[in-house]
Amino acid sequence: MTFYFEKEKTGSTPYVLVDEGKKYINIKGESYHENVIEFFKEVNDWLNDYTELDGFVFDCEMLYFNSSTAKLLYNMLMHMDDCAAKGNKITVNWITTQDNDIIIECGEDFQEDMSNLTFNIVIN
Amino acid sequence: MIPNMLEYYNSTKKYDVDIIYSGALWADGIEGLGVALRRHMEFEHMTLTASQSVFSVFIEQMNNMLMYSAEKVDVDEHRGVPKGAFILASKDKVYIAQSGNVMKTENAELVRSRIDHLNSMDKQELRKYYKEQLRSENLNPESKGAGIGLIEIAKRASAPIEYEFIPYGEGLTFFTMCVKIG
Repeated sequence: MTFYFEKEKTGSTPYVLVDEGKKYINIKGESYHENVIEFFKEVNDWLNDYTELDGFVFDCEMLYFNSSTAKLLYNMLMHMDDCAAKGNKITVNWITTQDNDIIIECGEDFQEDMSNLTFNIVIN
Repeated sequence: MIPNMLEYYNSTKKYDVDIIYSGALWADGIEGLGVALRRHMEFEHMTLTASQSVFSVFIEQMNNMLMYSAEKVDVDEHRGVPKGAFILASKDKVYIAQSGNVMKTENAELVRSRIDHLNSMDKQELRKYYKEQLRSENLNPESKGAGIGLIEIAKRASAPIEYEFIPYGEGLTFFTMCVKIG
């Protein structure tokens, strides 16, 4: 069974798609629910036990997220970076717009710590 | 009938208050308040960065209150929803986001020293400190990340964070934090 998870966005939670078969992860929108850890639990549990991420693409298209989400995204990315260090080829696209200074700055900060995966900041 | 409704109403004008809330901090209530806040800013012709900064301070203050508020509305015998107060005020494109909640006095010193520490840093130092905290939190998955929320607030603030700790009965303190943005 390949892992598939899809959830539509709500006011305070983003659209999330994790498709193991297609080796694709997409998180899009805003994330500031008070219980963001609970929201991402299923995805996180899967990801943390999963190290075969070769060929995965993660499109991260956030407009805004709170500090708990920042921590969670950072941990997810660090896990991916660890997998990349073991030879997995992983691409992260940090997609944003020119006027979103906060997201761009955060992307730059994250990018600095990812030494093994490919981390692109894509400005549309 | 509460006699001084007009007085409350007039005092909001006196302090340029746009939004005021006091009560239980339900998740969907916070979301609704966030919508009201954004709707208000929509007509102010702000840059995305400015409006995101105000919104971000609001969200982190809410999280801070959810974590520390010592007054709760009981949902059942095991669970309560934390109570808190929030004011958004603005004048000449400078926003003030102020939160207020009752907390345990034993936690007050930690919060005070954290804010003092953040107030002593400039923007570059805050950015660096935020990253350091993210890294160390990464090694400590059990942590609730209370420290990072305060750093985020300090990063968005345009002046040092003002605060007050006011004695509030046995073992309790009323904490209010005032953040200027813009």
